[in-house]
Amino acid sequence: MSVYEYRVTGSPAEAAAWTRRQAFFTDLRAVWGRAYPRVSGMFREPSWLFFELLLPLLATSAFVFVYRSLQAPSEYVGFVVLGGAMTAFWLNVIWMMASQLYWEKSQGNLELYFAAPIDIMAILFGMAVGGLVMSTTRAAMILVVASVVYGVAFDVQQPLLLVAVFFLTMTALYGLGMMLASLFLVWGREAQQLTELFTEPVYFVSGLSFPVGRLGMLGALAIAIIPLAVGLDAMRQLAFAGGDIAFGTPSPEIEALILVAMTVVFLFAARWMLRAMEERARRDGRLSLRWQ
Amino acid sequence: MAVNTVDSADPVTTGLGSPEWGGFDRSRTRVLGVQEQWRSFRTAASLGWQMEANWTDPLLFFIYSVAKPVAAALILVVILDIVSGGTDPAYRGFVVVGTALWSFVLAGIAGLAWSVLDDRERYRMLKYVYVSPSDFLVVLLGRGVARIGVGAMGAAITIAIGVVALGVQFDLAQVAWLLLVVVMALGIVSIIAIGVLMAAVCLQTRQEAWHYPEAVAGALFLVSGAVFPLAVLPTPLQAIGLCNPLAWWIEGVRLAVFPGGTSGIGGTGSLWTAVTGTASPDATTIVIALFVTGGLVTLAATGTFRTSERRAKDRGLLDRTTGS
Repeated sequence: MSVYEYRVTGSPAEAAAWTRRQAFFTDLRAVWGRAYPRVSGMFREPSWLFFELLLPLLATSAFVFVYRSLQAPSEYVGFVVLGGAMTAFWLNVIWMMASQLYWEKSQGNLELYFAAPIDIMAILFGMAVGGLVMSTTRAAMILVVASVVYGVAFDVQQPLLLVAVFFLTMTALYGLGMMLASLFLVWGREAQQLTELFTEPVYFVSGLSFPVGRLGMLGALAIAIIPLAVGLDAMRQLAFAGGDIAFGTPSPEIEALILVAMTVVFLFAARWMLRAMEERARRDGRLSLRWQ
Repeated sequence: MAVNTVDSADPVTTGLGSPEWGGFDRSRTRVLGVQEQWRSFRTAASLGWQMEANWTDPLLFFIYSVAKPVAAALILVVILDIVSGGTDPAYRGFVVVGTALWSFVLAGIAGLAWSVLDDRERYRMLKYVYVSPSDFLVVLLGRGVARIGVGAMGAAITIAIGVVALGVQFDLAQVAWLLLVVVMALGIVSIIAIGVLMAAVCLQTRQEAWHYPEAVAGALFLVSGAVFPLAVLPTPLQAIGLCNPLAWWIEGVRLAVFPGGTSGIGGTGSLWTAVTGTASPDATTIVIALFVTGGLVTLAATGTFRTSERRAKDRGLLDRTTGS
């Protein structure tokens, strides 16, 4: 019997007492429902192909030419290309995850999410799934085209670990996005300003265009708290394993463990913070407060 | 039937009532004069500034305003240090000035485009702004100016940090002020024109267009000679760069502030040197090139904006809101 099928109940309390199965499948539908507009939107307005695929490729190319103008070793071009691909995920996390609940509040959807019989984490997970589709397309485009055009030579000796690190980076990144979303829930207009603030400064401390180990203590701090920094560094070590460049950072195996820890911490913290911030937002009457 | 009468002594409603002879004043339907346009622009600029600045306390606003351009400059400074050991102070100055000026570009392009998205998607006021007596483009320009002000502050502080902390050599007595003023004026017009172009695009696109201005700026970065000379690019890209007013603007500012420094347009292996036989363009050439390329971009932007405006009205895009 479908979990959505009507069942006769003796009282409202009995009707509201959902089984775990019923709650799970409803949340699963919420995930798909939230992911759907992001996935279908990609096909409805093709302008993103130009703005999301072609232009970021040119922006990445600019840093390739910076290294070329300095006659840098070829590995650095590979670092830039990999970093350029990873920006797609970071931008998606801060623009379409972290600040999304603030957006939803402005648009009037937020109160509907809280009133619906679903877990708000399902909504965030749906956002992440939908955003990942678009970001992965953009990242793959940058990676493939830039690698071919600029002749990047990858040297992958542990492909399984590389794949595992990539997925761990994604889970940690989107976990961080969920955590930030809860903060943005109680913030007002500063949410968008802070979203902007999380671009170049994070690119710098994460070593998006250079090995993060070159930043010394600042780089070590970034590896400890920013999934983009640690994930990118591990992927660079694994994708250019035979190179002569000294990274000066922990081995990919250790960085993978850091990512596991980050995933767990960020997801639990996101869940706890969402509850706490929701409670606070309810008390302060901020859940439906727009444009402030 | 009761009719509200306008009290002529009320300063707010003075001039809004019927003419004394009771008929229809046709002059009110005519295009606004310069004075009214200026008033619209000033009001929009003031509103824009308040929206940009009053969301937080001044300290946080200051940090926010300078963090982006300073971080962008630091990325390139670290790259220089990694690859060349930071041994070339001239190139460091080249990079710092280029990134500082780029914060102007980002602010100018994003300011106008975001005004459209803010008013349409977030505050849902675009249709009301549109039907007000003010010229829509003038209002948008006013809103964008505030953001350019923030960008200017970021650029100035980035250069200051470059001089004080990053070893950029700068001599105030060497600055060619006239050239600086002229190229800044022409450059800002060009940046605003590109911003108008992006506003035209954002009138047509959905909410995700928030980061389109940044994507466009990132692409222009490649052909502007902001942080590396155009000479390192393939010839077709160099040719595109020579048609880009931003490349001439940055070259002009560099020549004014660091006379005799590295050229972003000329130099060994550059298309400019191959065609003209000169090492780098002189001040007059830069001003003329900036005037011509900026003028063309301005004309194209105005035409595109008017077309986009007509299409938006035709398709009901002015009060459309989207989700994702």
